[in-house]
Amino acid sequence: MTTWRPTPALVRACLLALGGVCAGVVLGQEVLVVVAAPFVVLAVMGLAGRPRQSVRVTARIDHHRLHEGQGTTSRLDVDDLTGVEHVTRTAAATAHVVTDPAYGATGALIGDGLPTIGFSPRRWGRRAIGAERVALTSAWAGWQWGPFDLPEHGLTVLPQTAPYDSRAEVPQPDGLVGRHRSRRLGSGTDFEGIRAFATGDRLKRINWPVSLRTGELHVITTRAEQDAGVWLVVDGLRDIGASGGIDGAASSLDLTVRAAAALAEHHVRVGDRVGLLVVAADGSRVRLGSGPRHLHRLQGTLARIRTDARSVAPERLDLGAGAGSVVHVLSPMLFTPLVTATASLQRSGASVVVIDTLGEAMTGDRGRLELPSLAARMQRIERDDRLRHLAAAGTPVVPWRGPGTLDTVLHQLARRAQVPRVRA
Amino acid sequence: MRVLAPGTTGPVATLRAMLLLLPCAALALALPEVPHWAVVAGVVVSSAVWARTPDHAAGVVSLVLVAGWWASRGVVDWRVLVVAVLLLVAHVCATLASYGPPTMAVDRRLARLWFSRALLALVPVPVAWLAVRGLDPELAPSWLWLATGAVVVVLLLATARVTRTDQA
Repeated sequence: MTTWRPTPALVRACLLALGGVCAGVVLGQEVLVVVAAPFVVLAVMGLAGRPRQSVRVTARIDHHRLHEGQGTTSRLDVDDLTGVEHVTRTAAATAHVVTDPAYGATGALIGDGLPTIGFSPRRWGRRAIGAERVALTSAWAGWQWGPFDLPEHGLTVLPQTAPYDSRAEVPQPDGLVGRHRSRRLGSGTDFEGIRAFATGDRLKRINWPVSLRTGELHVITTRAEQDAGVWLVVDGLRDIGASGGIDGAASSLDLTVRAAAALAEHHVRVGDRVGLLVVAADGSRVRLGSGPRHLHRLQGTLARIRTDARSVAPERLDLGAGAGSVVHVLSPMLFTPLVTATASLQRSGASVVVIDTLGEAMTGDRGRLELPSLAARMQRIERDDRLRHLAAAGTPVVPWRGPGTLDTVLHQLARRAQVPRVRA
Repeated sequence: MRVLAPGTTGPVATLRAMLLLLPCAALALALPEVPHWAVVAGVVVSSAVWARTPDHAAGVVSLVLVAGWWASRGVVDWRVLVVAVLLLVAHVCATLASYGPPTMAVDRRLARLWFSRALLALVPVPVAWLAVRGLDPELAPSWLWLATGAVVVVLLLATARVTRTDQA
């Protein structure tokens, strides 16, 4: 139980005041009386300002769910401030979280309001912030309550949605409604062509100028509009490179998670159904869904990804995805089983695009002949070879570059999807 | 070994430097008379420890050594007034520095508040100095002590009123 205890400053003032005055009187040392005189005032005022009440202090943060780079504020609640003059707060340092003020130490007189501490997470994931030490000081720095520890608060940091937009259509939309142009003719608004009137055509679709010119009834045909099922497969098996948060260099997992968040937001925004499969030791799977709440669920799942050295790559990717689904595999592709599983997915009929998220993680500036550098280069060569084989098997591989990364690839896939297939 | 912790703010470093310098300066006021080497060493070492940890009991050692050495001289001259001011300022610097870790910036309003408090605490010093210099306890009338006490109280109240701030 914390109580009000005299501060070292009060103890020092009392010792000097008592010692100086007593020694001056008893020993006849006038100098001691003169030197001790100011400390008498400090000691008396400090002793007189002793608070008596018990204090209950709690802290709360304004937000429990943030995106990278956003900020929240930790506020202090003190139930009884009688006799309290100054409050000191010192927040514990947390990885990938910056504080305002820097180093997390702040203090203020009660008259200026209780001091606050700002926290800004710089990397996605689960963060524990707000663990801090608090001390209350009475007037004339006489008595102190604490310092005592306050517990931390859990904070879910969602990945920053890197700016991403795409004008490419999803190759094989398979839903009922949506913004993508269907391969099938239907009652949409996207012009397909003009043909002769046939039994069953709606009268409102008759194109009168063409009909009058040709002397026969003609109707306008349009394409139906459908949504698409988009699966995001996120490789959380390893994290290559050091993460500097949003202000510094990105590790491979940073690139993967941020790219997945950007793709998820883009597809949900255009009305597609988006599913997520996390390949990791404690992998998770989110079914196809759409809407803002589903997007929050996807981002929350991405924020919980953790790498584990024991995790192994799966032999196959079980998405339950139909032939019309589009699968984005976001991975640095460092594991052969994952490459094999991706190729199997492609063979099953899904439109698979591999998004390479290795980035600059394996291009260290160490000496070229040093052992770690050699090992990294060998690993990279092997990986590039796997990706070449994957591309040769018909699976496009594109490095993540942000906006427009997938445009060319999706256009090609859409054209390929329109070509009639002949199965042996 | 780092002298200052990473992130130590400039004002805090200044306060800590003053904790080292002020007791030494109070001792140096006696020049050309040089204290015993043990006293000098004791003041320097304890002041250094005090500067490193403003909450440390070494602060008491430093102040007592300086005050004790000046008392041992037995001369109540103008320099005793300066010594009292220097020791009080050192004490206030240590108090300001001990409000939080070295990475915590010194609050300007708090510093102003303690400046006014230091002025208030200095009020009895000239009174005590005049009393010990100008009065013979055996010859002084009994009402003089009462009057002196009353004057000190009045001066304290007046100083408190003059130096009062919003927080005080």
